[in-house]
Amino acid sequence: MSQRLRIALTKGRLQDKSVELFERMGLDCTPIRNPGRRLIHAVPNYPLDAVLAKAPDVITYVEHGVCDLGIVGKDTILEKGGAFYEVLDLGFGRCRFALAVKAGSDFYATYKTRRVASKYPNVTRAFFEHKGMDVDIIKIEGSVELAPILGLADGIVDIVETGATLKENGLVPIEDVAQVSARLIVNTASMKLHKQEILDFIQQCQANLSGT
Amino acid sequence: MNIHFNTPEGTRDRLFAECLERRQVQGALVDLFRRRGYAEVITPEVEFYDLFVHSGSPLPQETMLKIIDRSGKIMVMRPDSTTPIARLAATKLKTLPLPQRLYYDQTVFRSGNAHEGGSSEIAQCGVEMLGATGKKADLEMIALAVDALRACGLDGFHIEVGHVGFYQNLASRMKMPQEEQERMRQLIEGKNYAVLNDFLEPYTAQPDCAALRRLPYLFGGAEVLEEARALAGDCPSLDYLEQLYGELCQAGYGDYVRFDLGLVHQIDYYTGVVFRGYATGAGAPVLSGGRYDNLVELFGRRAEATGFAVDVDAVGGCLEVDVPRLLTVIHYESGCLGRALEVMDRLPAGTCELSPCRTLSSTMNLAKEKGALQVLSLDDSGERWLEV
Repeated sequence: MSQRLRIALTKGRLQDKSVELFERMGLDCTPIRNPGRRLIHAVPNYPLDAVLAKAPDVITYVEHGVCDLGIVGKDTILEKGGAFYEVLDLGFGRCRFALAVKAGSDFYATYKTRRVASKYPNVTRAFFEHKGMDVDIIKIEGSVELAPILGLADGIVDIVETGATLKENGLVPIEDVAQVSARLIVNTASMKLHKQEILDFIQQCQANLSGT
Repeated sequence: MNIHFNTPEGTRDRLFAECLERRQVQGALVDLFRRRGYAEVITPEVEFYDLFVHSGSPLPQETMLKIIDRSGKIMVMRPDSTTPIARLAATKLKTLPLPQRLYYDQTVFRSGNAHEGGSSEIAQCGVEMLGATGKKADLEMIALAVDALRACGLDGFHIEVGHVGFYQNLASRMKMPQEEQERMRQLIEGKNYAVLNDFLEPYTAQPDCAALRRLPYLFGGAEVLEEARALAGDCPSLDYLEQLYGELCQAGYGDYVRFDLGLVHQIDYYTGVVFRGYATGAGAPVLSGGRYDNLVELFGRRAEATGFAVDVDAVGGCLEVDVPRLLTVIHYESGCLGRALEVMDRLPAGTCELSPCRTLSSTMNLAKEKGALQVLSLDDSGERWLEV
């Protein structure tokens, strides 16, 4: 009995990269490239159905087992956590979490409790807990760079790709918090119930990862 | 004041079909456990928080629902049943001869993250066998786990068996700093193949590295035991699993048993065989258990122990339960109550109700409104069946 697998893809940049990977694997991704009004996209030449979702929702769908597999950034995994198998580092969507401060300021040169703005409060908390440092964390939903400029925060913890945005805003990354890239995750029960199909899929993904 | 009538996050009202599902599963399990010689215990809904700290509970404290009692002590809503049962086994049952076979059918409370869709009230039905060790006890427990899921009426399911000794044996032979060991365990538990591979790169020269690298893949049928032997050499826990499997096959349980040597969760708590049940239709294990020989001793009496818990609602969610529909409304004239009840008790439960109406025409209207198919009218002259 061959079971169709369902995969949740993170919308946006990771989706494009995922589709490129699938196409290198020989999957016909026309339905994903031209989604129209459909919400579930069946790959015609492979027993795989894809749904598109926001990053945290990918984890939710996989954790609850309504999707067997998911492709999501390590940033979301670190922030949201959850119970699933993280089976493969797909290598794309590479960036890092970094602590950044206003150029010229010394983040560590005071006993005062520092205030850190971030879209990722859990990642930030874990980072400073590990250092044994108390900080005030402020959750910011939009452009985090604004917080230190306006004097709301002493630093930010955010995703850094090239560092260009930081530089434009007079901020400099002073410390890496974690490396980030896209991961293939698997629901724990699906892994056990559809072992062969899922291991085949993982293997094919692995064999077609590009060098980047 | 604005009064809200919602239930708190993580709780819910369970209606009709959900109750039938739950009761059907509980009924099947309790019936089986009793036949296998297990006796029921009910432990308090509220325990001292210290109990779970003392026993080194693997549950993070933020998942426990806490209450402060009048004297200022911290209490928790029972987050698990095994710890209280270990407590009572080492105290109340201290003088009883071992082994003791106990079962429970009660709710555990765990507060999850908000808006994750999980339930804070988890109905668990499970067994503990205290004071028995060795192959026969483990066999009895795994066979009971299979029979438990079978008794519930699940279609596709299997019990996956592992042994913490296999991993511990490999890990103890690795020359590796302590905190790295924990990192390695987490990677294996999460089947984080790629990262594990990179992580083990500096240790490639060590003989057990290849087996550890492969460990997350070592799940499936009995062939994984052979593969494990080829990778790791002779190992008592593999011999043990093979013997268990042989006996389980002989007893007719072979088709339901698989293996996962990468089951390395709660490695400080479990001391031997561990197992989990997976069912088609459930996104998480529906049964979980294993051998925990050191827990009871923490409460003052040495008793090796093994057991498992079934997540009742997770199993119930995989079942198709028929909700009986109302077919008949009984209208009776005064003096005919006895006959009405007699008829009612003969009909299948849930398909029939008595009409509280005084006149037959009101009863007909009621039957129509409720979607019943017929009305049974009883009076001194006899009975009449009327179509609605």
